[in-house]
Amino acid sequence: MKLLVFLFAAAALPGADIYDILVKNGHVLDPANKRNSRMDVAIVGNKIVRVGKELPASQARTVIEAGEYYVTPGLIDIHTHFDAQGASLNLNPDHNALRSGVTTAVDAGSSGADNFEAFRRRVINRAHTRVLAFLNIVAAGMYGTKVEDDPKQLNVERAAAMVKQHRDVIVGIKTAHYQPADWIAVDSAVKAAEQSGSVCMVDFHPKPGRGYRELILEHMRPGDIHTHFYGRLTPQIDGDRKVQPYMWEARKRGVLFDVGHGSGSLWFRIAVPAIQQGFLPDTISTDIHKNSVMLPRATMILTMSKFLNMGLALEQVIERSTVNPAKAIRRPELGTLSEGSVADVAMIALEKGKFAYLDSGFGKLTGDSRLRCAVTIRNGQVVWDEDGLSVGDWKETGPYSNFK
Amino acid sequence: MKYAIGLVLAGLAFGQPYDVLLKGGHVLDVANNVDGVRDVAVQGTKIARVAAEIPAAQAKKILDVRGQYVVPGLIDLHFHAYGYSGALFPDDTALLTGTTTVADAGGAGYRTFEDFKKKIIDVSSTRVLALLNIAGNGMTGAASEDNVADMLPDKTAETIRQYRDVIVGIKVAHFSKPGWDALKRAVDAGRLADVPVMVDDKIFTNTGRTSREKLLDVMRPGDLHTHMFNDRQVEIVSRFNGKVHEYAMQARARGVLFDLGHGGGSFLWPVAVSATKQGFWPDTISTDLHSTSILMQQSDMPNCISKMMLLGMDLKDAVARSTVNPAKAIRRFPELGTLGEGKSADIAVLTIRDGVFAFKDSWDKKMLGSKKVEAVVTIRNGKLVFDADGRGFPEWSTAGNYEVLP
Repeated sequence: MKLLVFLFAAAALPGADIYDILVKNGHVLDPANKRNSRMDVAIVGNKIVRVGKELPASQARTVIEAGEYYVTPGLIDIHTHFDAQGASLNLNPDHNALRSGVTTAVDAGSSGADNFEAFRRRVINRAHTRVLAFLNIVAAGMYGTKVEDDPKQLNVERAAAMVKQHRDVIVGIKTAHYQPADWIAVDSAVKAAEQSGSVCMVDFHPKPGRGYRELILEHMRPGDIHTHFYGRLTPQIDGDRKVQPYMWEARKRGVLFDVGHGSGSLWFRIAVPAIQQGFLPDTISTDIHKNSVMLPRATMILTMSKFLNMGLALEQVIERSTVNPAKAIRRPELGTLSEGSVADVAMIALEKGKFAYLDSGFGKLTGDSRLRCAVTIRNGQVVWDEDGLSVGDWKETGPYSNFK
Repeated sequence: MKYAIGLVLAGLAFGQPYDVLLKGGHVLDVANNVDGVRDVAVQGTKIARVAAEIPAAQAKKILDVRGQYVVPGLIDLHFHAYGYSGALFPDDTALLTGTTTVADAGGAGYRTFEDFKKKIIDVSSTRVLALLNIAGNGMTGAASEDNVADMLPDKTAETIRQYRDVIVGIKVAHFSKPGWDALKRAVDAGRLADVPVMVDDKIFTNTGRTSREKLLDVMRPGDLHTHMFNDRQVEIVSRFNGKVHEYAMQARARGVLFDLGHGGGSFLWPVAVSATKQGFWPDTISTDLHSTSILMQQSDMPNCISKMMLLGMDLKDAVARSTVNPAKAIRRFPELGTLGEGKSADIAVLTIRDGVFAFKDSWDKKMLGSKKVEAVVTIRNGKLVFDADGRGFPEWSTAGNYEVLP
């Protein structure tokens, strides 16, 4: 009789309490919703259905005990190179992104109008990671000086048309590596972004007569992104390591500053003084590729760790890796743990000890913190679980059998 | 010329004949019977000296590796770098885990090997070797791997002879038709080219093949059965009584080798526990690393070594089965797998972390352990390619207005 009553009571619970995954008692950091406390996150199918205190665990198919972790929206890395079979130096997205908690990776111009569709077929459509793209304004994409310095490759109309045609995955236009001392590449990229209603990401090499100040104050629009802004190529600080006044001015007019770590663009000798003066990045990103992944270890979680050890608070680091990049690429539905949003979640451990990090010049920063991604949930599936939190003990396997 | 002489003199004046010095680590170089604290000096692409005390003043770059284990660069005999749909690039996977040599296990066949060489082998920093698939088009699915008509021992052997520097053996895998054609052709090619064959086979289907026959009648001494702790590709442990089969012992006694080949489907805790309790350990530790296993089971070399240690193997033994043994299996010993003076400077520095760690098998079940092996430094061909804790570099705040530091 008791059992019957119990069954009846269980059946009377609202259906939404039957969760596929319940991430229990983690420290939820969800800057978009100003959440910063212990809560549960419940997932049904590929959606986050509830975020709240003490959600019932009894009916969850998988309970992940998250007491020792921060629970954040799946991270967003807006500067990656993931056309693995395409331009040189590109990597495979899944193990490089998902192991870092990155559920959305934006390829930064590896392909252009000539080869974006091949990139889409072989990588974007097949990866577990949500791979988005900035389309290179160079039609041939990132295939070396010969095409990247050739003004004939800069076809505004074609690029804008390609963005419109693939609006579900192309978030903007990229210009990069352009060496001739004119403004054609930057202006073409901005124009293509304008025509397609998207964002322009700029990698900039200043030349005589083509200065950085004019770039960020005159040529880029509010909302456009300068990536590599802690790099050596652009004069963001003066000889006394003081942040240039035009940096503040550009920020005020809405230009965004993105890390884009890479092999040449994160220097502690530049970033540390800039951060001390309050010039923080708007977005943290990796520029991960075959070289930057090696000695500099430009993975998302380690790049975030570097910023934590340079003095950013954890909340600031998470904000710059979730909600800020989502807004920058105009995908505000990403980078949050809002109820109803796609279940892209990261569980991050904050480890204390003695750790060291290298920058793009192999300068070392010693610090006391390291972030480690323990679990990544992408589209409602556990795709990375380093600590085995979602799986049972081997003794539950039962007797040895040839049949799973 | 004057400049060159100047440089030489400067080198002598400062007494720095060595490019890199690993100082104070516990060296495990099983082939040379070294098991203790030693310094290891690298000059150019070679190991120059292994000795109890090499003065720091003699080296340009010094890495303090006290408390860590310095071992020969790990050798992974079962890796996927080409052909297979889950293939990975070797550098961001192997080198970051202390693995300096990988053998691609059958991604390419004789028709596709040159493409593999051009696209991956020649442009990777990792030493990439190959087990050539007996199927002409390699590991590209049933159309290739079941196509006996394109399993040609003479063509395969010819390609191997032509590229003997990088092809170290033959792979046969995933053959789903009845009978012994694929395996026998692979062994024929192995005879012709005088190289070992690595076998990944299906049993318990309608193939009519048995583990006993395969291990005792078909495979030769020196051939390797990979995926040894699987239950569908070879049966080492009886599924009825949990005992290691007599024929597995006999096969080992006649020289057939057993390779771990962890992968996404081939490491099952119940099988591994049962086999190792009865003393049936892998001859060679390998990963079968691909896009799924790297995420779900994390079966890189340090992970596989950690799992063997959790089952009771000691670190030294695990290192031997990840260096010396695989080098011997592909007949590249002592060229590879040792820290002998004059050998290629392929070196891994491993650390053992204490804590509670989960180690997952292919059925998505975990065994908890208290020790985890991780790579912290990798040197490949004399070059520092991975340095997790920045041992080889100065603090940024002491380096002035630095450009890329040496």
